[in-house]
Amino acid sequence: MGVYILKRLFLAVPTLFVASIVIFMLIHLAPGGPVRVMLGPMQDPVLVKKLRHQLGLDLPVYQQYLRWASKALHGDFGISVTIQRGSSVMDLIAQRLSVTLEVAFLAMVVALLIAIPTGILSALRQNKITDHIARIIALLGVSIPNFFLGIVLILIFGVYLLQPWGAGGFVPLSKSIGGNLIRMLLPAITLGTAYSAIVMRMMRSAMLDVMGQDYVRTARAMGIGQQSIVRKDVVKNALIPVVTVMGNSIGYLLGGSIVTETVFRLPGVGNLIITGVFRRDYPVIQGIVLTIVVVRILTNLIVDLLYSYLDPRIRYGGAE
Amino acid sequence: MNKNPSEEAKLGIWAHRGLLEEFWHNFKKNKLSLVGGIIVLLYLIIAIFAPLLAPYNPVEQFNAPRGEHNPLPPLSRSAEGYLFLLGSDKFGRDILSRAIYGTRTLLQVAVGSIAVALVLGVWMGAVAGYKKGTWVDELIMRAVDVMLSFPTLVLAIALLGAFGIGKTRIGPFVLSNMVKIMVVIAITYSPRFARVMRGVVLQEMTEDYVDAAKVAGASGGRILTKEVLINTIPPIIVQASLMMATTVLTSSSLSFLGMGLQPPRPSLGLMLNEARDFLFLRAWWYAIVPGVSISLVILGFNLLGDGLRDSLDPRQARRVQQ
Repeated sequence: MGVYILKRLFLAVPTLFVASIVIFMLIHLAPGGPVRVMLGPMQDPVLVKKLRHQLGLDLPVYQQYLRWASKALHGDFGISVTIQRGSSVMDLIAQRLSVTLEVAFLAMVVALLIAIPTGILSALRQNKITDHIARIIALLGVSIPNFFLGIVLILIFGVYLLQPWGAGGFVPLSKSIGGNLIRMLLPAITLGTAYSAIVMRMMRSAMLDVMGQDYVRTARAMGIGQQSIVRKDVVKNALIPVVTVMGNSIGYLLGGSIVTETVFRLPGVGNLIITGVFRRDYPVIQGIVLTIVVVRILTNLIVDLLYSYLDPRIRYGGAE
Repeated sequence: MNKNPSEEAKLGIWAHRGLLEEFWHNFKKNKLSLVGGIIVLLYLIIAIFAPLLAPYNPVEQFNAPRGEHNPLPPLSRSAEGYLFLLGSDKFGRDILSRAIYGTRTLLQVAVGSIAVALVLGVWMGAVAGYKKGTWVDELIMRAVDVMLSFPTLVLAIALLGAFGIGKTRIGPFVLSNMVKIMVVIAITYSPRFARVMRGVVLQEMTEDYVDAAKVAGASGGRILTKEVLINTIPPIIVQASLMMATTVLTSSSLSFLGMGLQPPRPSLGLMLNEARDFLFLRAWWYAIVPGVSISLVILGFNLLGDGLRDSLDPRQARRVQQ
C-alpha cells in the first residue's frame, strides 16, 4: 500500500507543478502585457511601473514564477487589482468558496438520490420498458444544458407558482438554515440533473457487469434469492467503480457550478471568476483556477487511494 | 449439418455488401440513432440556409405597437405590422430569425473547434501510441494529463480571461472573436482526442497487418500514415460526434456567461442570458426558444454518436453497454 501511495504521489506532484506553470503563464498571455490591460484607460507611467513592480513583472520570468509559486504554497495568491483593489485574493476566494462547495455537495446528493435507485432498477429490468424509459430520461438529462434547466425551474417555481425561493438569490447559512437550504434546492437540482444522468448510466453498466460475474451465478445456483443477491453483493460491488467515477468528476461539478451560480445569482467562486474575467483581474483568475485544479487533483488522489484500498487488484498488477 | 438457406443467402449478401452498406444496415436498425441523425441533418440545413429561412434580418429592430412593450409574445405584430412568429426580444428583434442565425453560429463554432481539436489531438495521440514507452510518449501523455487536470469550462474561461474578450491581436495576427473561441475550445478538447487516438493506435499496432508491413520493409512513418491511420477513422468519428454534443454545450455555456460571441451578433446562449431579466415579465418565449434549440441539437448529436458507436465501433460499444 505504501509503495502505491508513493507511486500515485509521484504522478500527482509533477502534474500539479506543470499545471501551476500553465496557470502562472496566463497573465503573460494578455495581449500587450497584463499591466496595460488591467489599468485600462489610465496609463500613467508611474502607476504602470508601480504595478509592474508590485506584480513582480520587472523580474526574469523564472524568478517571477518561483516567487508566485512559493507565495501560493503559503496560501498567498496575491492582491486583487480591479475587483476589490488591495484585498487579498485568498480572502476573496475564502468568502465565496463555501457557497460553491455547498452547491456542488447538494448537487451530488441530488444526483445520488436519483441515479443510484434508477441505475439499479434499470439494470434489473435490462431491455424492458422501465429500462428504456430510464435511459431516455437520462439522455434528456445530459442533453439539456444546466443554464437552460435552471431558467426553466425559475420560470416554473418563481414566476408561475410565485414561490419566493424560486427566484434565485442567496441567504447565508449563518442567517437562516432553512432559508438557505430552500434557496439552494433549485441550484442543486439544476447542477445535479445532468450529473445524475451520467452516474445513472455508470451505475447501470456497473450492475450489469457485476451480475455477469461468476460468483453471482454461483450464489444464484446455490439457491440464494434474487433479492438477497442484489442487495448484498451486486449493489455493494457495483458501487465501488461508481463512487470512483463520482470522485473523479468533482471538476465537472466545480465547472458546472460557475454556470449555476450565474443563473441563480449566487455569490460563489464561479461568480467571482466571471467578474475577474470581465474586469481583467489576473491574480483573481489565477487564484481561482489554481484552487480548482488543486481541489481536483487532491480528490482524484484520495479517491484513487480509497479505490485501491477497497479493491486490492488495483495495487498489484492492474495499476500502471 | 444442414445450413438454414436464408442464413446462407444472408451471408451471400454480406459478402457483396460494401463497407458503407454494412454500416448503414447496422445504423438503421437503431431507431433512436436514426432520430438523432435526422435532427442533426435538420440543424445542418437550418445552419446552411439560415439567410433563406429567417423571416427577418436578425439584428433589425422593430417598434412595439402603441401601449405595448417589447419583448412581444409569439404571434404578435410590430407597430409596422410585421409578424413575430415566436415573439420578439427586448430590442424588438425577431426571436425566430435570431434563433436561426444563432443556431448557425453555434454550429460554426462547434464544427470549427472540433476540426481544430482533431488536428491537434489526433497527431499527438498517434505519435504517442506509435512511440509507446519512449520519452516522446511519456512527454505527450503527461502533457495530456496536465490539460485534463483542468475542468473543461474552467480552462476555457481562464484562457478567454487571459486573452480578453473580443478581438485579440497576437503578434502580427488579429484573431476574430469567433476564431479565438474555436481555438480555446479546441485546446481544451484536443487532449481527449489524443487519449482516444493513442488507445486505438496501440490496439491497431498489435494487428497482423502491421507486422506484415514491417516484414515487407515499410518504414515506421509509412506504416503509421498509410496503414494504421485508416483504421483509426471509425473510432475517431464516433468520438468526434459524441464530442460535438459537449462542444455545443461548452460554447453555448460560454455565450451564456457573456464570454462568447458579443452582441448584437445572434447567439443562443446570449439570448438565454438576456432572457433572465425578462422572466418575471413572463416572457417565457425569450428563454424557451433558444433553450429548446440548444437542447435539441445536443440531444441529436448524443443520439447520433451513440448510434455511430454501435455501428462503427462495436468493440467500444460492447464495453459501454456492459
